[in-house]
Amino acid sequence: MTKKGLKEPLTAITICGVGMGSSLILRMTAEKAFEELGVKAKVVATDVGSARSMQPDIIIGQAMHTEEFEGVAPVIVSITNFTDHQALKEKLAEPLRQQGWME
Amino acid sequence: MANVVTATLVDLEPQGWRGAIRAVCAPLLEAEAIQAAYIDRCIEMVDEHGPYMVVAPGIALAHARPEDGVLKLCLSVATLSDPVLFHHPQNDPVDLIFAFGSPDDQQHINLLTALAEGLSGGLADDLRRSSTQKAAEQVMKEVLKDVIS
Repeated sequence: MTKKGLKEPLTAITICGVGMGSSLILRMTAEKAFEELGVKAKVVATDVGSARSMQPDIIIGQAMHTEEFEGVAPVIVSITNFTDHQALKEKLAEPLRQQGWME
Repeated sequence: MANVVTATLVDLEPQGWRGAIRAVCAPLLEAEAIQAAYIDRCIEMVDEHGPYMVVAPGIALAHARPEDGVLKLCLSVATLSDPVLFHHPQNDPVDLIFAFGSPDDQQHINLLTALAEGLSGGLADDLRRSSTQKAAEQVMKEVLKDVIS
């Protein structure tokens, strides 16, 4: 059984076009969401181009960016409001449970 | 705490999303925090990568890269009395636009952290309710009080 998410931190990336504005705001929101879900995760903000060479457990971004990553990471979540951690929590909970990364 | 060039504008009526980006960036250019080319790059970012910088319903965050012409760390915001369309599938129309510039890939982090905190705590509506520039400035000052010297 994997201990990822419970003891060992998951790797998550938040993506946007440049990798320093929108994705940074989304990183804060994601960190808050993971914390409230009780899931350990290291969140990195990056641009779409750099994301292509990464192998994270979780990718979070707008649908216009996440679509191309389908199948690349075990969990891919598309959100439209980068400031709403409640909405992100709701979207993350089910796939995290399915992966055994959340109790 | 950092020195940050800030600007707050209210009730603008820009011509489309390109006009909105130009308008919110204008005071930063005026203050010599960015070069004119930076504004063009902010617009090109949307052309190249799509309207991803519309980060929440009605809210856009325009920016480009440090090497695109940033001279000083800066942040501006404008409320739009005439909202614009960025052609975002869910978050249009935009009536609140921020622009920032960072001289490197680190200096803006505290600033944007404070902005993110503010946005998750009702900053957008507080700004939308601000009928004068002074009121909006006060709202921004409060949100950024721990990061701007």
